[in-house]
Amino acid sequence: MLRYIATRSLVALFLVWIVVSVVFLLLHLIPGDPAELLLSQGNVAADPQAVAALREQMGLNAPLWQQYIDHMTGVLTGDLGASFRDGAPVIEQIALRLPRTLEVILAASLIATGIGVPLGTYAAIRADGKADAVISFFASASLSTPVFVVGSVVILIFAQKLQWLPAGGFTPFSEDPLEHLQLLLLPACTVALSLLAVITRMSRASVLEVLQRDYVRTARAKGLPRNPILRRHVVRNALIPVLTVLGLEMGTLIGGTVLVEFVFNWPGLSGYLVAAVDARDYPEVVGIVMTISVLFVFLNLVVDVVNALLDPRISLVR
Amino acid sequence: MTTRMNRRGFLATTGAAAGALSFLGPKALHAQDGGTLRFGLSTYPPSLDAWASNGTAAGTIKLMIHRGLLGYGPDGTMRGELAESWEVDNEGAWVFTLRDATWHDGTPVTSEDIAWNVLEAQKPDSAAYLQGQLAAITSVETPDEKTVRMVTDEPLAVLPGWFAHFNMPMIKKGEARDTTMGSGPFLYDSADRGVSISLSAWDGYYKDEMPKVANIEAIVYADENLRVAALEAGDVDLVEYVPWQAMDQIEANDELALQATDGPFMYLTFNASRPPFDNPKVRQAVAHAIKREDIAAAAFYGRGGALEHLPIAEGSEFYNPELANSWNYDPEKAQALLAEAGYPDGFDCVMLSTAQYGMHQSTAEVCQAYLSMIGINVQLDLPEWSTRVKKGNEGTYDLAVMGTAAMNNDPDGLATVVDGSLSPSFVRSFGMETPEISELFARGRATFDTEERKAIYKELEEIAIDTVPVVGLSWRSQGYGMRANAEGFTVMPGQLVFYSGMTLEETMLG
Repeated sequence: MLRYIATRSLVALFLVWIVVSVVFLLLHLIPGDPAELLLSQGNVAADPQAVAALREQMGLNAPLWQQYIDHMTGVLTGDLGASFRDGAPVIEQIALRLPRTLEVILAASLIATGIGVPLGTYAAIRADGKADAVISFFASASLSTPVFVVGSVVILIFAQKLQWLPAGGFTPFSEDPLEHLQLLLLPACTVALSLLAVITRMSRASVLEVLQRDYVRTARAKGLPRNPILRRHVVRNALIPVLTVLGLEMGTLIGGTVLVEFVFNWPGLSGYLVAAVDARDYPEVVGIVMTISVLFVFLNLVVDVVNALLDPRISLVR
Repeated sequence: MTTRMNRRGFLATTGAAAGALSFLGPKALHAQDGGTLRFGLSTYPPSLDAWASNGTAAGTIKLMIHRGLLGYGPDGTMRGELAESWEVDNEGAWVFTLRDATWHDGTPVTSEDIAWNVLEAQKPDSAAYLQGQLAAITSVETPDEKTVRMVTDEPLAVLPGWFAHFNMPMIKKGEARDTTMGSGPFLYDSADRGVSISLSAWDGYYKDEMPKVANIEAIVYADENLRVAALEAGDVDLVEYVPWQAMDQIEANDELALQATDGPFMYLTFNASRPPFDNPKVRQAVAHAIKREDIAAAAFYGRGGALEHLPIAEGSEFYNPELANSWNYDPEKAQALLAEAGYPDGFDCVMLSTAQYGMHQSTAEVCQAYLSMIGINVQLDLPEWSTRVKKGNEGTYDLAVMGTAAMNNDPDGLATVVDGSLSPSFVRSFGMETPEISELFARGRATFDTEERKAIYKELEEIAIDTVPVVGLSWRSQGYGMRANAEGFTVMPGQLVFYSGMTLEETMLG
């Protein structure tokens, strides 16, 4: 087991290095000059002399390989550099914003699993019935509605019309826990909706498959009541593919909550990434992408290990 | 399969989930808590560098914490801030007399502080917004603690305008340029980078009984629709950059108010370093080929007006009514001009704009449609903003859509858009030589008599109409939305719209 984890981690590290290098090089290839942009704020003509001075100060006049080596040396020593825009240390900003994004994803995952698994199971045991049809319809519908539509609609209903919840924004938990949760609710539910659809469909398919298994028939033949069979034998086994999908979806969400963060003004990591790309803030972009790829790879690893723990039959040697 | 899940069990599970949401209450939490004004910003200031151009959101924050020598009243007239009075002396130098004001740390604002600001900002590599202008000041004298004398090679009528700009506030001598200690009405308390900035009223402000509110919480709402939603939901009291499509809805709402002015404008720039747009006739043809009303309708939901001359507003004393429709929509004339220029069958070209901002893209699309009617086949190049800036600076386009506001309501502020003697920039045409116009701008700056200045800028506009260094397209309405209880905030007229943050000192919550 340990050896398996070690090998997988090495491969993961290699993958992260590739991603960071590609992003670093691509960033320098696309047009747009951070110094020029910074000095053109407010649509004014930047003074060429000032742009040149700022480029020098940002270290952009060194050859690309030199910049790459400098950056990688920094990364290896845990220094992700400072923002081109205001000199804020990138690592601090990531540390500030990553938990906020993870919080939305985690809350969404809890909501989606909490509702999706029972719903999927219910649909499976009522397969081809009315309830199944209704649940499947809503799952498909929510899967095919983009988050910005869902987000805008819930803001319209809950903030603008009913005025139950704030339209968006962020308050630190330490400052006002209740307001923090109120602000978290809409973005989390919005992310949860599409996740819910995936989990419901996956649970339904998976439970249906397990219900056909011999051991379920045996359990029923022995006279076990239905609920214990469902809890102990069906759902537990059916959860494995659901967890795999959830893990992958969560990984994708780390860099993919940008629309939700934008719509609800939630100051997380994805929104930060987009702003950094817009400003061509190289150190920030590379730092954020590295964080996201590390997390993605790590989540995949966790999913594999958890699967192995849930079902010892899964061979670790692949 | 007959296995059945207990219906009650299922309902209990989902019921528990719903119960967990019961902390949703009526929004008592967001009621007013005395005197905190919540201001919805469009973007987080990239920096608070006092003298740099860091966008209008930064400008608004700077107007909360800083003050310059001069400023503008709510009606747009120039008034003294740190300076009590200002005049030209016998030798043509500007003399500013300071009032009794103090920095946020309690020390007095002295002439030495002011001189230091000017000398630092005018350094060649200062990257100050007004560096180019300030370089004209050859020396700054401080005969006493309250007097600053600025000497220029020749008298400059437009100098006070520089010191009224929100990108030229005064900071205490020796402070870092991005200091948050100023002499303005509000103290900078704390910031959550990218999220919000908290400020509180300063009781040592030099104006009696100002500011009126105890605190300002400036919260960033980057999404324009959310900004409006937050205003409607009562999460904020005041928002900037109201999207045009939401202006009707704000006006129709009894609890809200909209204040807007036609300030910023859209225009076309050309690459004059190569054919076909090196030919003024071709540029004239473009000027007559586009129906401006359609741009205002498509890009600004009708919240804008046709601009068929240089962007000098109708309310300005420098407005020339007889020139106002010089670039009117006249497709036949455009066609004739094109033929005269040697392109009777038109030509192909590339128009640069950006897909990042809807108004830039819509404007480009309308222009493309109208130009095709006179035979100019336009291919749109719509990269994201940073690339668009780069391409504009390098001149990799034939013609381009641009939008901006001038420095202030003085026509000298248009130099940045039409004066070809300035360094290449995406805000003006590329490779466009405008010797007569540059000459007239210089004369306008050195002339104090208003009537004389009017004549100079009229001549300048006539030459511009003829040589077409840029083509005016449309004014655009710039609006602030506020809750009915936010009183005293005033949107300043025309190009001064982004100075409106100055009136936050008078804003109160009723």
